[in-house]
This record gives sequence, C-alpha cells and structure tokens, in this order.
Amino acid sequence: FQTTMDVAAEDSDQMPSGFHAKAAAKAARLRREAAKLASASALESPGGIESRPGEWAPTQSKLLRRVAVAARPGHFELSLQYGPYSVAYDTTGRLLALCGRGGHVAAFEWRQKRLMFESQVNEPCHALTWVGAGSTPQLAVAHSNWTYIYDAQGLELHCLKRLHKANKLFWLPRHWLLAACTDTGHLHWQDVSTGQTVASYCGHHGPLRVSALHPDSGCVLTGQPNGQLCIWTPLEKRPVVKMLCCPAGVRAVATAPAGHAVYTLGGDSRLRVWDIRCLRPLSVSDSGADAASIRLFDAAPQLAVSQRGLLACPVRQGAALMVLPAGGAKPLLSHPSPGRLSDLAFCPWEDVLAFGHARGLGSVLVPGSGEPNPDGAVHPLSGKRQRREAEVRGLLDKLPPETIAPPAVGGGVNAVDAEGIEEALARKRAAVMALPSDEVRQFQPRRRSGKASGELNRKVGERWQRRRMELRQLLKSKKRVLAEMGDEGADAAGGRKTKKAKKVSQSGELTKPATGTFLDRLIPKAD
Amino acid sequence: CLFPVLIDQLNTHWPMKVKLLLRNPQDYLRETADDIHKLARNPAPELHPMSAETEYVRALNAAKLERMFAKPFLGCFGDQGDQLSRVCMHPRALSLCLSGCVDGRVAFWNIPRRSRVLQLDAHSGCVQGLCWHPEQDLFYSCCDTDRTLKAWRVGDDLTEFSRPVSQRHLDFAPLNLDHHVSKDLFALSGDAVYLYDSRRSDPVGQWKWGSDSVLQARFNPTEWHLLAAVTKDNALLLIDTRQREPLRRIRCEFRQNALCWNPQEPFVLATASDDYNLYSWDARRLASPACVYRGHTNAAMDVDFAPTGRELVSASYDCTVRLWESGRSQSRDVYHTKRMYRVFAARYSLDARFIVTASADFNLRLWKARASEKLGALTPRERAAVNTAEALKQKYAHHPQVRRIVQHRHLPKRLYQAQLEMKAIRGKQRRKEVNRREHRGEDKEPFVPERDRHVRGVDE
Repeated sequence: FQTTMDVAAEDSDQMPSGFHAKAAAKAARLRREAAKLASASALESPGGIESRPGEWAPTQSKLLRRVAVAARPGHFELSLQYGPYSVAYDTTGRLLALCGRGGHVAAFEWRQKRLMFESQVNEPCHALTWVGAGSTPQLAVAHSNWTYIYDAQGLELHCLKRLHKANKLFWLPRHWLLAACTDTGHLHWQDVSTGQTVASYCGHHGPLRVSALHPDSGCVLTGQPNGQLCIWTPLEKRPVVKMLCCPAGVRAVATAPAGHAVYTLGGDSRLRVWDIRCLRPLSVSDSGADAASIRLFDAAPQLAVSQRGLLACPVRQGAALMVLPAGGAKPLLSHPSPGRLSDLAFCPWEDVLAFGHARGLGSVLVPGSGEPNPDGAVHPLSGKRQRREAEVRGLLDKLPPETIAPPAVGGGVNAVDAEGIEEALARKRAAVMALPSDEVRQFQPRRRSGKASGELNRKVGERWQRRRMELRQLLKSKKRVLAEMGDEGADAAGGRKTKKAKKVSQSGELTKPATGTFLDRLIPKAD
Repeated sequence: CLFPVLIDQLNTHWPMKVKLLLRNPQDYLRETADDIHKLARNPAPELHPMSAETEYVRALNAAKLERMFAKPFLGCFGDQGDQLSRVCMHPRALSLCLSGCVDGRVAFWNIPRRSRVLQLDAHSGCVQGLCWHPEQDLFYSCCDTDRTLKAWRVGDDLTEFSRPVSQRHLDFAPLNLDHHVSKDLFALSGDAVYLYDSRRSDPVGQWKWGSDSVLQARFNPTEWHLLAAVTKDNALLLIDTRQREPLRRIRCEFRQNALCWNPQEPFVLATASDDYNLYSWDARRLASPACVYRGHTNAAMDVDFAPTGRELVSASYDCTVRLWESGRSQSRDVYHTKRMYRVFAARYSLDARFIVTASADFNLRLWKARASEKLGALTPRERAAVNTAEALKQKYAHHPQVRRIVQHRHLPKRLYQAQLEMKAIRGKQRRKEVNRREHRGEDKEPFVPERDRHVRGVDE
C-alpha cells in the first residue's frame, strides 16, 4: 500500500528540496519498520490459492473439499422470489442484509444462519446499508420514494423523506453520516447520531445512477454519462473534482474499503484503475501491468472490491460472477449465478463474497479477499460489550463534515497553512523594515501666524527639510536591502511596484505540453 | 478475455493449495470472566484512515472536557472575623497552615477539613510576619504595633491553648519575617534587614540601602548565605550575609510588594509589583527581569512559587488569583469568585496541588492548582487517559479552535472591562511609540523590549 510520500519519494524531482527528500525517506523507513513489526506480531495470515499455471479457476465444490469444515457456512444459496436483490454486510462482517425489488427486506447473521428479521414492505427497495455501530444494528433501506431505517427486529424507526428516490446509500462510519445519491440528481448527507441534515442539494449533473463511496476520505464518487468522474463533498454544492476517466460514459465505479484505488468501468468495456490522490492511472501490480488492459465484455455495471484488492464483477450478462486478483487479469475464480446478478458485496474480515440476483442471493468462498488482522472491536468475533465500547468511542471521535475532502485537493488538519505563514512573514518583514509611510514623507508642517511666527515657521520648515532628507536616505538604504532580499520582501514591505510584473510579461506564454492532448491518458498502453 | 468455468476432473493428482481465512474464536475471546477482553491490534495505516483528523477531534474534545471539569474552588475556611494579612504553610505537614489577622489573631487551620484547629490572640496589632521553624514544632510571629517577636510552640493536642515560648522586644517596627531553611536564623525586615540568631538577643547582621523601610526579606532555600529583600523605595536588594553591605540594588519603576525564591532554581526569584506585573529575576544578571508576567488589572500583592519551581501563583488587588507557568508571560489560569475581595496572600501547598489564598473579605480559600484535576485516586486507565488528553492538547495547541477553547476564561464583567481598558491603554502607548519612531527616527526613539522597560538601574 503506497501513500503520497512513498509516491513522491520515488519521484525525486517532485521533492522541493533535499530536506524534503530526507524527511520522506525517513518516513518511508519508519513505515516499513512499522509494517514489519505489525506483520511479525500478526495473528492471522491472509488466504490464497496456489495453483499451477494453466490450471482452471476452482469451483466452490473444489474449494470446499480443500478447506476445513468451519468454512462451509460461507457458501450458501437462497432461492427467493421477490425480485433482484441487493445485499449489504455490516462493518463487522457478522450481519448480512438483503432487500429485493419486490419489497422483501431481511437481515440475518450469516454464520449461524440466525434470522434477525424478515418483512415484506410492499414497495420496491433499491438499496440498503447498515447504519450505526455494531452494537445496535440499524438498517437503512431506500424504498421507491423515501428511505426507511429499521432496527434489528425489523421495526421501522425512521422515515427519511428528504432522501427521496435514493438509488444508492452509503455509510460513513467515522463521520456517522448516511450519504445518498438519488435518481433526481440530489445528494444527501444525514447525520445519524444527531439527526441533523448536514447537506442536501441538487448536483445539477443529471441523475446520479453510478456512484461509490471513497471510505478513506468520505467523498462520494459519481460516474457521469460523458465519461467524467465527479467527487462530491457535503460542503460544496458542486463537484470538487471532475476527472475525465473514460472516452464513453462511466458504467460502474468502485473503491476498495481502504486505500486510494478507484476502479471505473467505461462504456468501452475497459476497466481502469485510478489513484484518487493524484487523479492519475494507478499501476496496481509490481510488474507494472496496466489494469486498463482488462476488458470486461458484457459486464453488468456492479463491481465490488475486497479489503485485499480483489475485484468481483458480473460476466456473461449477469449469469456468472468473476473474481480478479489485485492487479491481475486472469480470474481467481468464477461462479454461476441462478439469476441475473444485481449486487455484489465482499464480506469484511472474511474470505466470503455475497451476491444478489434476480432469484435470490448466494455466498461464495473467495480465498484471500479478507483482511486477516483487524484492529479494535470491529471484527466478526467481537463481543457485545466490546461493540458497545467501540460505539461510544466512535461517537466521541465523530469527525466533523469539514474533514470530508478528496486527497487530491489537499488540506487537512495537519496541512501547513502556507498562506497564513506567508502573510505573517510579510507582516514581520514590513514591521522590521518599517519604511516610512507616504504620509510621513509628504507631511507639511502647518504654518503658524502671529508674533514671531516668521522665525518659528522658518525653523520648523528647516527641521522638516532635514527630516525629509534623512527619510530619503533611509528609504534608499532600505530599498537596497529589500532588493537583496528579493521581490517578495519589497511586496511585503508596502506594496511598492517591483520589477516582478515586468518579468512575468517578458517570460512569454505558458509552454505547451509536449505531446498530444489530455485524452491521451485514455489510450491503453499495452494493446 | 473470459475463461468459461469447467469442472476439473483431471487435476486430482496435483491438488491445488487453498488457504482460507478462518478465525479461531478462542484467539479472540477471553478465557474466563475474570480476564479482561482481548482487543485485536493492527497498526497498519491502511486500517486507520483520517488518523490525524481523529486525533484533532480528540484534542478538541479533551480541551472541552478540561473546561467542563474546571471547578477549582474547593471551599472557604470560615470567617476569620477580620482582614487577613498573612498565610504561612507548614514546612513538613501537608494539611496545616497558619493565618495572621490584622487584629493580631493567629489561627491554625486543618486544610482538608477547612476547619480552624486553634486560635491565638498573639498580638495587639496587625500580625506582620509569620513563619515556621523548619524542624521543630515552633512558629514565630511579629507585629509592628507592639514591636514584638513571639515564638509559639504548638502542643501535641492542638486544641490546647499554647503560650508563647519566648518573646523578644524589638527596637524597630518589623514588617515581615522569614526563617532560614535549616539554620537557626531568621530575618526580620523593618527599617533595615536584620538577621537574628535564636540564641542571641542582638541581631547578628544588619543591611540597609537608602533610608526607606524594607517590606520583605526572604532567604534563598539553596544558597544559604543569600537573602533578597524588597524596599519601599521601589528597590530590590540582594544581600550576602557574609558581607557587610548588600550586593546589589535594583531600582524598579514601581514598588515590589512581595518576593519569592524559586525552590528548585537557586538563582531565580519572583517579585509582585505595584505596576500590575510580576517579574522573575535571574540573580546572575539583574539588569533586567528574566520574564514579565502581565495579566493583572491591579497591583500584585503576593507571589509564590510552586514547590516544583515551574509555576507561580499571584494574589492581586483586583480580587483575582492568577496562576502562571514559569517563563510564560501570559497566565495559565485566573481564579475569582463573587465574594472574594482584594487578595493579599496566596500560597502553594507542599504538593503543588492546592492554593490557599487570604483576602480582604476575612476569608481563607482553598483552590486546586489544576482546575480540572480529579481529586482522589486515579486508576491506571484514568491516568493514561488524562496523560493522553494532555499530550493531545499540547500537540494541537496551535490550532485556532483548540487554542480558543484552552485559552478562554470567563471573567466577571468588571474584570473583563478592566482587562479591555488595560489593553486599550497599552495599545495606545504602543501606537504612540510607533508614531514617534516614524516621525523622529529610530536613533531618537529606539525600540526598547518589554523586559528593559521596568528597571531604572542596578547599583552595586
């Protein structure tokens, strides 16, 4: 997993100075040591499949023959009748919920197959997400008109009329926000802990049918029919970032539960992976294989990414699902679906993938998809008391919505306030240099009248003449110093005209890019 | 492109290796009900996004909680009946202190219970000096009206009436009293600084500079021959008892009302001045104070160092008590109550956790030195949480939102208005200086730093 500093460290010409390069190298070394320490003390190791080259991808039955009996609950099929199903796991990975277009809403603990609740709401349900911390599970379901929140027993707790015609619901656990994209082109951000609507606006970018959440920053990414990827935050009513990512319309967007990779599936059936921090194509694998070489023909627009970077997508017009390894094009495994696939969801912390289709839902084992070592109480085996503690801590550590910002834009709590520092420096310089102001230099003493005024006026005039000469000398000497200091000093010391403006005009226009247009980024390199 | 799925029947001889992530519940659950719950830990940064923002929110919450729990006033010691002039803490026992009154009564207090243990009609006039003997259960009191110095022994049963062990008539009016930290010497200040030995009737030494009386003389707790004294003619004296004349005299602009040596740094002393400031001085370099503590809106009457040597408390004529960190010119905290009138004395307790103040409304008050400190035993987790909160606040102290909460103190209207007035006065003085400098030139109106503005001269 790379971070911005790692990326920058590799690209040494991006470092402003040797000091920065050294700092970046030190940070990278510390991170490597920490990772080594973490891996040394890790309890579990990730799953995986070791197969000979040329071997077919394994079926579920083959996998089940080779794994322990304890893994069997991860593979099941449910035949249900109420329409294409959407599935959602909660953040601990313990609970699985489903909602069908026929109005079927249910939630159960998938390991023990213990049903929490099941109801028929008599309305088409399009999307769902678990809301709140794991101690008191609540389910938000987007019905055809409004969004409802149900508790663990299936009782309707809230009806959110503001979230009208939502087609996708997202849960931001660190901000306790429920985000929704709607068919009417609106975006909503609702604080679930206080009930306050943080933001609710129309994006004016058409119906937002293709959307995903970037969990690390809390931004909502939407794909537009003109090939743009828009990044939305609650505080801005316009997309903060608009990035052209496909020559045709964007059909699907997906993000990994952690990290900076964004997967987009375009109308040209190409899967592209982007780095959201710098908005450039991401080379995911060590070998440098470009993910844009992956073509998903007849791919229905649902993608799911696991914690370890595995990508699941429907193939053959939703008749089967395929799991691709991180950065690879050769499928890890495939599985046929009894009905047309409508939703995919990886179980967090487990090697399990749930899929919803037109005739029910199912679950398959996917070795190597789950993160083996969780942190804290958010994992499938945490107890009730731990989940309660984690909920209280989560509420105390609730982040304000101002912290939702795309990494590409920068800022953040520890960002250096460069403008503020520049201003403060400028003020200090001005105070130190303290050039006499124009009023002082142009001051004329008032002429007095009366007895002995002639002598007085002459004396005062002489005194001021001398003072003016002194100020002129002072100005000259200080200007010399300022010129040595540089143009910024002169600017700061009182806004005097400098030669800077002239220099810019003399330098000429901006240099043109060396090759082609910015659409070149969309041409796949290896073809 | 796609690979269609086929059932593989030919690879049974070369089974593929499959490893599935399966967790053993025993690794995640505690073994018995007496154990603590197990907590999984993975420090990988991918599992901790927005850690900086989370830390910032925790720092903000820590700042807010600190202000919510900031209730420094512990209680009043009970009405003494007349204005209190002196407070003196017992040198060895945490829970005992003495107070001297203007009507000559000396009271012996139990601090935790805030109750008076004993009251003595010590003098006929104002009790000007109170100090304990460092080792024996003996304390001294002096009065300027009857010009006596009395030594009292407090019996084992504190409720018994105790008589003065000895009484000494002085031929000057003593204004203050201090005992040496270990030797049997004490210093009386009156028209001069007199050094007395308890076994001798005549003073062992006498120091004077000028004709004005000395308000207070204090022994340096580390350098046993060193004394500092403040005089009525706005001077600070440095005296070595081995020499006949005082070492130095620092002439200040305003009168220094009280002084205190730093118990941990031998060469540092602090004075409380009539010009609303406190000054801390480095005895090695007396040309200017080491730090100017600005914040009071009326004369500072008393100053005391904490036993750690890192903090100061000041009592002021503006009815507030301010706490300072050594070296920082802005006060850390300000204590005030509706009923507390002019504060004339403030003392730290021996464990640096409490402050006792004596004020003109006839009351002694007990305060916490750390306003939001939890009194009582802290469990290890509580202590860890407190330390974490403190570290977070320091880490984000520069952030405007955190700084705003940490610095803000509510002041009653009259104090707030007084503060604004002081700010306006200072602003006007600074502006005038800047204008003068601009018009007259820097050589005629040089920039003088704050530290150098308050000392008129140093005499040797």
